[in-house]
Amino acid sequence: MKKLFSLIRVGLKANFGLSVLHHRLFKEKKDIWLVPLIGLGVISLFPTLYGYLKLIKSIYGILKPLNQQQAMLTFSILAGQFLVLLFGLYYVISAFYFSKDLEILIPLPLKPFQVMLSKFTIILVNEYLTIMVFVIPVIIYFGILAKEGFSYWIKALIVYLLLPVIPLAIVSLLVVGMMRVVNLSRKKDALIIVGSLLLIVVALGLQFVGGKSSNSKPDSEAMVKFFTSSDSLLKQVGAKFPPSIWATKALSGGLTGSGLLNLLIFIGASLVLFCGILVMAEKLFYRGLIGIGEISARKKALSQTEMSRMVSSGRRPVKAIFQREWRIMNRTPIFLLNGVLAVILVPLIFVLMVKTGSGKGSGAFLLYALASAKPVYVILAAACFMTICGSLNGTASSTFSREGSQFWMSKVIPVSPREQVIAKFLHSYIISLLGIITACVALVAIFHLKAVACAVAIVLALLAGIVLTAAGMIIDLARPLLDWTNPQKAIKQNLNVLFALLANVGFLTVLGFLLFFLAKAGIPSTTLLIALIAVLAFLSLFSFRFLLEFAERRYREIEV
Amino acid sequence: MVELNHVSKSYNKGKVKAVDSLNLTVNPGEIFGFLGPNGAGKTTTIKMIVGLLKPDTGTIAVNGLDTQKDSLKCKEMTTYVPDYPAVYERLSGMEYLNFIGDVYGVPKTERLQKIEKWLEVFELTQAIGSPIQSYSHGMKQKIVLMAALLPAPQVTVLDEPIVGLDPRASHHMKELMREHCDQGKTLFFSTHIMEVAEKLCDRIGIISKGRLIASGTMEELIKIDESDESLENIFLELTEK
Repeated sequence: MKKLFSLIRVGLKANFGLSVLHHRLFKEKKDIWLVPLIGLGVISLFPTLYGYLKLIKSIYGILKPLNQQQAMLTFSILAGQFLVLLFGLYYVISAFYFSKDLEILIPLPLKPFQVMLSKFTIILVNEYLTIMVFVIPVIIYFGILAKEGFSYWIKALIVYLLLPVIPLAIVSLLVVGMMRVVNLSRKKDALIIVGSLLLIVVALGLQFVGGKSSNSKPDSEAMVKFFTSSDSLLKQVGAKFPPSIWATKALSGGLTGSGLLNLLIFIGASLVLFCGILVMAEKLFYRGLIGIGEISARKKALSQTEMSRMVSSGRRPVKAIFQREWRIMNRTPIFLLNGVLAVILVPLIFVLMVKTGSGKGSGAFLLYALASAKPVYVILAAACFMTICGSLNGTASSTFSREGSQFWMSKVIPVSPREQVIAKFLHSYIISLLGIITACVALVAIFHLKAVACAVAIVLALLAGIVLTAAGMIIDLARPLLDWTNPQKAIKQNLNVLFALLANVGFLTVLGFLLFFLAKAGIPSTTLLIALIAVLAFLSLFSFRFLLEFAERRYREIEV
Repeated sequence: MVELNHVSKSYNKGKVKAVDSLNLTVNPGEIFGFLGPNGAGKTTTIKMIVGLLKPDTGTIAVNGLDTQKDSLKCKEMTTYVPDYPAVYERLSGMEYLNFIGDVYGVPKTERLQKIEKWLEVFELTQAIGSPIQSYSHGMKQKIVLMAALLPAPQVTVLDEPIVGLDPRASHHMKELMREHCDQGKTLFFSTHIMEVAEKLCDRIGIISKGRLIASGTMEELIKIDESDESLENIFLELTEK
């Protein structure tokens, strides 16, 4: 036990870079400027939090007269658990199998379950932080609004602590099983990618099956039942993942009867799955882990002609760097899943959700209605969707961080920072372009967008894409994360990716508000679109030029 | 030619002085061995020469050009091998060599000729098409060395280049280094292996606590303390003070 705790403590320190942060903040005083910046970031979140709490209150106000208020707990718990499932997949693969510290841990006199459990705990702590925003405000505010007693708060703590355990244990069991098979093969990277995609498809498939069954046409009898039973909505929402129903009932059901029973079921299920992990860890973890990093390439001597063909006849530096970026990104599974695959998957998931989920239900219907009312809104909505699909990946905002300890090469090669950054920009922008194209195909498939509307939306998305790609790169260049040992850290746990995401959302919100007020002021649609294109073109040019100048300065300043 | 004039570098806002007013000249055609205990400032000096670190004060010149003012031109003339072969593991050995050839503008015929020869010498012919990830530590070190010599740079800076190489590769490496310098090129390298420094270097510099405490040919160093005839003893004697 002592060993396990010590392992977890060291792991947490390394994961959050606590010792390094302490050294940089208080010894070197290098990152001291981050303190006011983070403070400002936290303060700027207050209006959003206020809005969020107001939303919770109004939803509670709507659901309370229908006696369905528990459903909001289910919804937030379900959202939290779904996030754990999705992020857990990346976290588990990279923490269990690709963190460099495993090379140090395996030879130590530790049992496989101790090593895996320490990794599991570290991911669990990460997940608490990930789902915090979605779950804690709802649980707390529900307790206050429903005037819940002391037992509610105790149960709330237990439920929150156990919340990620079930989904994370499911992901861990699947991944550990998958990696045992992967490790048998020579094509490990390819199998990891295929396996991960398969897991995502299975998870989504389950969602859609649940979605379909719960969306059957309601008849009058069912409607009566719906309004008379207090848990009908929560059952409908939670049907896709029963633990969310147990957690909700445990929270809202008092300390006796259904509340206690569901709490016990929730704790029991978490415990069973947790024990499953321990058993799996002892049996399969090391068998899947040892040798996973060893790539046994088929070695073969090259003939004279093969050699001559393989030696390049000289590419321009920009092309050489672009090719390097492209190859490294696509050959590192965790980067590929977050780059090319992410931009293709997001629009596809959207199509599947609309096609198999609510069909001509609320969301799609709203867009159809919008389309017939004001075509300009369709163009703007389509452009916004394309932009989001194109920029919702960490390629640009991790472009320097991804180089990690190899950044020394970018510093010593005789290629100007300007040229290097152009190559990196092209790489990030092409991935963004891929997202825009997939999003466009998705929109045409679902909403049958007209060619003109589609073309204008594409122009807007392409221009916004330049701004957001440049912005992401600037954010990463300001403070690249180069000292990672696990590629996951460069892209999934990189604060720069989060900052860029916030900047993207902020940029689109500001543009949205501006357009809203201009449209309200009676400016014609065509003028509005032309003005928007002009503004975006100017911002594209400005951000790109700023990026080039910033790179000249930062490449000199960054020391490795 | 490499010239360091009053170069200083400190960390922790001046609290730790890694290199202290260092003056040094390495001439064309010379192999210069840079020795010093752990933490003496060898890697910091090397990193400043190749532009990975910026000196706090002083100037560094490569063939008469300031590394800060004419950084790109200096980089065209310089290649570097770090103490740990941190290379693009997801690229194959050939892709990596091609990348270096492209960014330094090495013509195809020259590339082909050198690569073929060195693959043979370093026994990498069978592995060159495989990802660097599958290489052993020594193989990675060899590929980084090949990449550093491919552009036939005026100045090559190497941080512990022999570590990780087997005796045969180490022998070939030393021959290559000599051959390279006989063409009038400059080679600056740090090492902990006294024997290598003693046999291979034209001149040796010893750094301790950030300051150059001795510099010269082997004969000149022996004159400092005539009772010591081996470099190891001279090194121990000088760095103890």
